[in-house]
Amino acid sequence: MAHVPLTPIGRPRDGFLDSGTFQKNRAAMAAREATLAERRAAVAAGWGEKYAERVRAKQKLTARERLDALIDPGTRAFEVGTFVNHGLKFGELESPAAGVVTAFARVCGRWTMVIANDNTVASGSWWPKTPEKIERAQEMALRLRLPVIYLVDCSGLFLPEQSRSFPGATGAGHIFKKNADLSAAGVPQIAGVFGDCIAGGGYMPIISDRVYMTEQAYMVIAGAALIKGAKSQKLSSLDIGGPEVHVHQSGCADVRVPDDQTALRFIRDEVARIGTPAADYYRGGVAAAAPFQPADELDGLFPADHRMTYDADEVVARLVDRSLFWELLPDRGREMIVGVGRVNGLYMGFVMNRQGVIDDPEHHGAKKPAGILYREGIAKVAAFSRACNDDGIPIVWLQDISGFDIGVEAERLGLLGYGSSLIYTNSTNSVPMFTVLLRKASGAGYYAMAGLPYEPVVQLSTPITRQSVMEGRTLAIAAFNTKLDDDFEIAVSDPDERAKIEAGMRSTEARIERDMDPYQSASQMDTDEIVRFGELREWLQLFAEASYQSIGYRRVKNPRIWSLHDLAALTEARG
Amino acid sequence: MFRRLLVANRGEVAVRVARAARALGISPVGVVSTADRGAAWTRHFDDIVCLGPPAPRDSYLRAEAIVQAARQTGCAAVHPGWGFLAENPRFAALCAQHGLTFVGPRPEVMERMGLKWPAKAAMRAAGLAGIPGSEGLLADVDEAARVALEVGYPVIVKADAGGGGRGMRRCADEAALREGFPAASAEALAAFGSGAMYLEGYLVGGRHIELQLLADAFGNAVHLGERECSIQRNHQKLIEESPSPALTEAQRNEVGERAAAAAAAIGYTGAGTIEFLRHPADGRLCFMEMNTRLQVEHPVTELVTGIDIVREQLRIAAHHPLSITQADVVLRGHSIECRINAEDPFDHFRPAPGTLAAFEVPTDLGPGAVRIDTHVEAGDKIPPFYDSLIAKVLVHAETREAAIETMLRTLRAARIEGVPTTIPLHLAVLASPEFRRGEYDTRAIPGWPPAAAAHSAKS
Repeated sequence: MAHVPLTPIGRPRDGFLDSGTFQKNRAAMAAREATLAERRAAVAAGWGEKYAERVRAKQKLTARERLDALIDPGTRAFEVGTFVNHGLKFGELESPAAGVVTAFARVCGRWTMVIANDNTVASGSWWPKTPEKIERAQEMALRLRLPVIYLVDCSGLFLPEQSRSFPGATGAGHIFKKNADLSAAGVPQIAGVFGDCIAGGGYMPIISDRVYMTEQAYMVIAGAALIKGAKSQKLSSLDIGGPEVHVHQSGCADVRVPDDQTALRFIRDEVARIGTPAADYYRGGVAAAAPFQPADELDGLFPADHRMTYDADEVVARLVDRSLFWELLPDRGREMIVGVGRVNGLYMGFVMNRQGVIDDPEHHGAKKPAGILYREGIAKVAAFSRACNDDGIPIVWLQDISGFDIGVEAERLGLLGYGSSLIYTNSTNSVPMFTVLLRKASGAGYYAMAGLPYEPVVQLSTPITRQSVMEGRTLAIAAFNTKLDDDFEIAVSDPDERAKIEAGMRSTEARIERDMDPYQSASQMDTDEIVRFGELREWLQLFAEASYQSIGYRRVKNPRIWSLHDLAALTEARG
Repeated sequence: MFRRLLVANRGEVAVRVARAARALGISPVGVVSTADRGAAWTRHFDDIVCLGPPAPRDSYLRAEAIVQAARQTGCAAVHPGWGFLAENPRFAALCAQHGLTFVGPRPEVMERMGLKWPAKAAMRAAGLAGIPGSEGLLADVDEAARVALEVGYPVIVKADAGGGGRGMRRCADEAALREGFPAASAEALAAFGSGAMYLEGYLVGGRHIELQLLADAFGNAVHLGERECSIQRNHQKLIEESPSPALTEAQRNEVGERAAAAAAAIGYTGAGTIEFLRHPADGRLCFMEMNTRLQVEHPVTELVTGIDIVREQLRIAAHHPLSITQADVVLRGHSIECRINAEDPFDHFRPAPGTLAAFEVPTDLGPGAVRIDTHVEAGDKIPPFYDSLIAKVLVHAETREAAIETMLRTLRAARIEGVPTTIPLHLAVLASPEFRRGEYDTRAIPGWPPAAAAHSAKS
C-alpha cells in the first residue's frame, strides 16, 4: 500500500454536541481567552507608552514595531515565551516578556526566528530568564534550521540581578554558545544593530553571517561609562563603537544604514537570498486546504469542567486538511489515536488521547477510562513514534492525559518497561516534534507524550491546560495517605484532628490548583506559549511549513517507502 | 552618515567633494602627490596624506596606497572624484574589501558598463535605442561588410574592450573597412587583450547630449535632465549647457524616464551619466555609453535643478534613499559652463603650466548668477603633470540669452595672468551666431578659429 490512505473523519458539530453545550463551552472558553488577550496586550505594551515615546523620540522603532516592519505584509508573528517572568517582581520592577520578543515570523516567504530586545523595557536589558528565553528560541531555530534574525538593542545585563543571569550554565554567555552552534550547523544568522549594544548585546550579533548597523547603533565590550578618560575626551559610546568603527575599521559589522526601516529592508533582502523554502516541494503538488470540519469550532468542543469528556476524533478532524486522516492500528490501544494527516499540504503525524470510556484491553467485555495510558496504547504510540522518526514525518503530540495506569496489573504487565521504551524512543527521535497540552498534562503521561523535558521543538499550552505531577485531589490523598482509609476517606474520629486534616488537604489541593495555572508554567518557562484553541490550526501550519522548509539536514522519505506501511500491513486483518 | 571621507583625487574635484562633505558634517581627508604638497586646494582638508611622486601612476593611481591612507586616517568612505581611479572596478572592490565604502556604483555594475557591448545590450534591453549597427560582436570582416551595407557608409568599427581611440577605425567605404577592420582588431588585441569588434554607422553632424542620473540602493532612480556637450575639441568638452537647445521637453521626459529605468534595471547606484548621440537625420537619441562616475560638468545640472549631486552621492553611499522623486525634478532657467584650461588656444591648445600671477573672476556682473568652481588662487603653481583645468565658470539665468550675456560679461572681465587660458576661445564661441542660435554639433567649434568665425558671421 504505497498510497497514504487518508479517509474522511469527523462529523458536523450538531451530530455529536448539542448547541446548548457547545455555546456554554464556548462562553466559558471566551472568558479565559479574554484574560489571555488582556495579558498578551499588557506584555506587548512593555513598560508602557511613556517608554515607547522615548524610543520614538530617538527616531527609532520599538521592538514590536520592528518585528511588524520585518515580516511579510498580511502575516502575523507567532511569539513564544510571551509570559516568561509573568507576575514576577525584581524589586519594584517587572520585566514583561523578560525584555525580549522571540517569535516565528515569515520573512520573504521563509519562516524565521526573530529575536528582538524589547527597547521599551529597561532599554532592552537582560533579566533573569532573558538568556534562557533567547537560548530557547535559538534552540527552536537550530532544530528546524530556520534562519535567525537578531534585532539587537540591548543595554546589557540588568545589573542588580546579575547573579541570576550571568554565571550559570544557561547564563547570558550561553547565548553566544548557541550563536556558535547555529553557525556550526549552517543555520543562517542575520543581525540588525539598532542602538545600545553593550557587553552581551555587543557580542550577540558578531557571530551572525551579516551584521547591519544603523547610524544610532554601537557595539562595545564596555560603554563610555567604564572607559577612563572618556569624559574629558568627550567620547561617547557611539564614538567608541559606532558604525564608523565597526563597519569601516574593525570589520565587526558589514553594512551601515541610516535608520531602523532601512536596516529591516536590507535584512529582508538578505533573507530572500537564502535557499527557496522546500515546503512546496514536499507538498508533492497537493495544495494546502482548510479542515472540512471547521477549526474555529475547537473552542466549543472542550467542556469547561476539566473532569468532563469530549470526542478526541473530532478535535483531530478540525486540525487536518480537508478532515482527511489515516488512523493506524485503530483497533489496538483504543485510548490512543495515532495517525497521519496533512497540514497545509504537508504530512504530519498525530498522537492524541481519546477521552471517555474504552474497552478494557486486557479483559474482554470490561470497560476502562481513557485519558490514561495502558500497555497496548503505550506500545502503539512507541511504534508509531519510531516509524514517524524513521520516515521523517514530524509528530504533533496532543496531550490530555492523567497519567499511566497504576495498580497490581499495571506493574505485572511491566508498564514501567513499556513506558521507558516510549521515553527512549521519543528521547532519541530526531524528527521535529511539537507538543500541545490541550488540557491535562499529568504525571508520567506528560513525559511519555513528549512533554517539554523530552525536548519537543515547541510545547504549547491552552487557557485550560493543567500541568502537574497529578491533580490536586490526588496529590492531597498521596500527601495525607497515612490518615486515610482504603477508600481515601479520613480514618480519624477526633473531630479537631479531622478538621485539621480536611483543612490541610483542601489547602494542598488549592496550592496545586494554583500551580497548574498555565501562566505560572509559562512564567517559569515550563511551557513555551499559551494559545487560543482558535489559533491552534495556524500554529500547526507554522510547525508543518517550518519543519519542511530547510532541505538536507534531516530524513524526509517519500510516502511510498514509509515504514508506517509495514506497521499497517502487519496488523491489518487477513482477508 | 560617514564621519570621515577620503577624497582620492586632486584639484578642482577634490575641493568640490570636500565642500559637499563639510555640508553633511563629514570631515574630508585629502591625498596629494609630492607635486601638490602644500597647494592652496589642500587647505580644504582636515588631514592630508602624501601618496608619492608626481606621476599619477606613482601617486593618484596607487590604489593600495590610497586604501592605506584611508585606513590610517580612520576614514569610512572613499570618493574617487573623476578621472584617475573613478571608473576602476578593481579599486572599488579593493575599497569594499577593506571596509571602505566606495562612493559610486558596485564594481560589477561599473565593470559591465565599462565593456561597450554588454553596456549597449543592457541599455537596449531597457528600451534605449543604440546607434544603428551590428547586433553584437562581429565574427569576421565579411560580417562587418554585410552589416555596413545595411547601415550605410561611413561606418566605424570599434574594439569591445577599446578606449582612448585605440582599436577604432572610421571607414568611408568597403575597401577601407576591409583594410581597417583587421588592423583595428589587431591593435585592440595587442592593447587590451581582446580583438572582439563591433560596428556602428558613423553619424556625421550629431550632437553629444547626456543625461544625468541618480539611483539609490533601493531601486529608485531619477534623471536630472540633460547636458548639451557638443562643443568639443578632440573629444574634450569645452562648453556645456542645460537644457539642450536641440531637445524637446517630450523627448527629454521620454528618454529620461527610460534612462532612469535602465539604471534601476542594471542595479546602478549613485550618480551616473548616459551619453547619447543625437541622430542628425531624425533627432533620435542613440545610446553611446554610460559614465559610472561624477562628471566634470555636473554643476550645469545642479544649477538648473537646484540639486547638489555630490551630496546625493554621499547620501546614497551611506544607504539613504533618494531624497527626491522624479516629480521633484524641475528644470529652471538655463545654465552654461565654460571650462577654463591653462592652455594656449592660439598654439594648438598647448598645455601651459606655470605660476598664476593673477586670478580674478567677477561673480556680480549679471544679469544671471555666476558660480566659480576652482581650486586655484593667485600665486599658485599649475603643475605640468595633470589635467590643465584651472576653473569652471558657470552661469545660471532665466533664459539662454541672459545666460550667454552673463557669461560674456564675466569672462570679458576675468583677469587670469601668468598662464594663457582658453577664455579667448569661449568668448569667440559665445559670440558666434551659430552658438547663439543653438545650431551646432560635434563637427566643428562655432566661432573658432577666429577667422572662421569672422567668415560665418558675414555669411
